[in-house]
Amino acid sequence: MQHEEFSPQESLKVIQNMLAKSREDFSHNDIYFLVWGWITLIACTGQFVLKHIVKYEQHYQVWWLVVVGVAFTIYYSTRVEKKRGVKTYVSESMKYLWIGMGISYFVLSMIFSKMGYENNVFPFYIMLYGLGTFVSGCFLQFKPLVAGGIMAWALAIGAAFVEYDYQMLFAAVAILVSYIIPAYMLRNKVRASNN
Amino acid sequence: MNEQETPLSGEESMRLINEKIGKAKKSYVTKGIASIVWGILIIVCSMLTWAQIQFKFELGFDVWLLLFVALIPQIFFSVKEKKQKSFVAHDEVTMQYLWTTFGICIFILSYYSNKFHDDNNITSLYMMLYGIPTFITGGIFKFKPMILGGLICWGLSVGAMFTDLKIDMLFMAASGLFAWLLPGIILWNRYKKRQECNV
Repeated sequence: MQHEEFSPQESLKVIQNMLAKSREDFSHNDIYFLVWGWITLIACTGQFVLKHIVKYEQHYQVWWLVVVGVAFTIYYSTRVEKKRGVKTYVSESMKYLWIGMGISYFVLSMIFSKMGYENNVFPFYIMLYGLGTFVSGCFLQFKPLVAGGIMAWALAIGAAFVEYDYQMLFAAVAILVSYIIPAYMLRNKVRASNN
Repeated sequence: MNEQETPLSGEESMRLINEKIGKAKKSYVTKGIASIVWGILIIVCSMLTWAQIQFKFELGFDVWLLLFVALIPQIFFSVKEKKQKSFVAHDEVTMQYLWTTFGICIFILSYYSNKFHDDNNITSLYMMLYGIPTFITGGIFKFKPMILGGLICWGLSVGAMFTDLKIDMLFMAASGLFAWLLPGIILWNRYKKRQECNV
């Protein structure tokens, strides 16, 4: 392996390139927020309609939609990882954050499968939405995500005061403000900066 | 992405270079002291709770309030380091955000615990939460003992669903041991070795 010596100008260029790469990585991440945001929003509102309005007993079946999100995430992340050359500090941090969040959602699902799903499930999920979004916003220095995370935590506390059926609507609002809206703001920002 | 895309000054660039090349891991957190303190406290609180159930006695106060004791040295060292440093590295800021978030979520979970009065199941949820910052910190610093510690927390969290509160407390102590105390001791030993090399 050859060790090249960089001039100060070259060092600066390397750093500028790394920062630009981080911004580019950020623009790729919005797709995850959008896919998972919409899937969760549809599932929450769908479950509310099925349970509260249609009175369908197996209202929870709507959550099978999550399988679509998992399949997409595995396919897309594998494809993107193959294409991605340089790994930045931010992209690496985000990777571990969302692997950790993915495992946590899985563990939480297992816990609630034992506890019973009709038992204040949603406040805990909303708290995790806030956690992932807030930390992402801080890592990426993108304020709408930070604000979304804080709003999700407020909704997580509020949801503890309402009945199970309405907790679904709290979760839908939480996902809207913490995933979907910041993701669209991000997409617009990236488009604007590219233009 | 930085919201304000301003060009870097020479000084800022040098700071970034120093940060990337040096990665001086001398902070309170990366020395391992914070990990050791939290690990010991979790183990002590868990074992005291276990002992109260096992030997049927009451201490007369909530032992988990001892966790607030850990906040005192953490705040003290953070303030002290802030005064000594001319700048804070990006990875340190990242860790601050991550662990602050963890603190907020622990607060929310404590609130749920009081509201829902479900002590048995809530221990599983605490351990699930312990796993998150531990795993992410381990991943970001490429520090395998913490990655493993996070995974063990999640495993214990699921396991605790099938046991009563007394056994849960032993699981909780194990999570403190694997997630924080052991990684903290490893970090501390590394720090001491580095110091010896620098002498």
